[in-house]
Amino acid sequence: MKLMRKLAFLAVAILGLGTTGASADKLDKILSKGKIRCGVVLDFPPMGYRDAKNKPAGFDVEYCKDLAKALGVKLELKSMSFAQRLPALNAGKVDVVIGSTSDTLERAKSAGFTMPYFVFKLQVMTKKDSGIKTFEDLKGKKVTAALSTTPETEFLKNAKSMGWDSAKYFSSKSESDTHLALLQGKADAIVTTDTTIAELLKLPKYKDYVAGPFVPNYDDFVSIIAKRTEYGLINYMNLFIHQQVRTGRYKELNKMFYGNSPVRQLTVDGIYY
Amino acid sequence: MFDFDYTFHWITVWNVFPEMLSAALVTIEVAVTSMIIGLIIAVFLSLGKDSKNEFYRTPSVIWIEIARNTPALFQIYMAYFGLGAFGIHLSPYIAVLAALVFNNAGYLAETLRGGFAAIPNTQMSASRSLGMTQFQTYRHIILPQVLRIVYHPMTNQMIWAILMTSLGTLVGMLELTGKTDQLQSLSFRTFEFYLVAAVMYFIIAKMVLLGSKLLAHKLFKGDIS
Repeated sequence: MKLMRKLAFLAVAILGLGTTGASADKLDKILSKGKIRCGVVLDFPPMGYRDAKNKPAGFDVEYCKDLAKALGVKLELKSMSFAQRLPALNAGKVDVVIGSTSDTLERAKSAGFTMPYFVFKLQVMTKKDSGIKTFEDLKGKKVTAALSTTPETEFLKNAKSMGWDSAKYFSSKSESDTHLALLQGKADAIVTTDTTIAELLKLPKYKDYVAGPFVPNYDDFVSIIAKRTEYGLINYMNLFIHQQVRTGRYKELNKMFYGNSPVRQLTVDGIYY
Repeated sequence: MFDFDYTFHWITVWNVFPEMLSAALVTIEVAVTSMIIGLIIAVFLSLGKDSKNEFYRTPSVIWIEIARNTPALFQIYMAYFGLGAFGIHLSPYIAVLAALVFNNAGYLAETLRGGFAAIPNTQMSASRSLGMTQFQTYRHIILPQVLRIVYHPMTNQMIWAILMTSLGTLVGMLELTGKTDQLQSLSFRTFEFYLVAAVMYFIIAKMVLLGSKLLAHKLFKGDIS
């Protein structure tokens, strides 16, 4: 009897280990729960936005769906702002964020980045008669970009290296606030991604506006992010991104959201990621 | 279940700490300026609300009602984008300052009105019969008493003003919160930056309170505990 009890105890202990083992990583947890929580930013069309029925839509949303499908689990979308991406990951509110996160080396000290899944060009948008033809023409102009985004960082970096007085630069809280500032004439120019500008120019209220010069020497590669320590998950997502391109899904989504503009190359000359 | 696995990297914050300090100065500057201008306007608003003159009372009542019954966030947004729609472009700094003056004046007016109500009417009659003008009576008799009465509720508003400046980031003002937001986005060390900012807000509030206590001690000659 005593032996039986000991054996039973051992069996329970082993079973317990199997389910709550310390070695279960995020990927294990996602698979065993049957659900992945995916963070998206929905004020950044066409990567993330709400459609006419107020449902989340966009390139990033499609990628979340594809990722859940590949994993064979259910998807829970969580909408967030650019600034909330990292806190949400660290607080365990989401498992991954597909939110156009620029892959800087500084940020990679804090978050785990996959290989790039998309690439932007940073571009200036102005009024037609602004006289801003080159990036250098922005000197002394009222310029705005969304606070805490790569367009802001890159503009300020360039302004500093050219020795401009950036006193006339101001931050806006969100992408949509920069658009409002441009329309109201608070700003002569905004710095954002080429995709956003193309999207805005489709709207009638921007008929007097044009896409201006690009921010020099910068390709804004963006990655999916997860907690820095979740190698298993990041590894899986690297393969996922690779397969999205290989299976033609990447091209298909490019066409769906960017029409006939050329499919963006995710490679750089001279090196494979 | 509680599983905390996060390694703090404080060095990232210290590297740019001077930038946070200068942003904190902006916070103090806006809060204190908005409080001083707000207090001056509040004196006129509180007198206006009890005035018999329609043209003085109505605008005072409207100001107080809007300032107290709408979110400060809305007031800041209106000062920035609302006026912008009419072609009046205030810089984020001026827009936030104006909105906070508007807000502080509205709240302080009601605080002061309570203070004025606590002074018996007979004091006015007495000083007028001694030959003082109405202005002199307010200046030398009534206001000194009122300011003593409202000192504690006023320090509340002072702290509130400091904390409200953090809303300025919504129109892109780079005060302590906005700057912290900008700096954390470069390194994604969110927890570290916001924790340091929270501590800085705490210290600022305590420092400003201490300052106003010293000022009160000097002005009121020990009448305030």
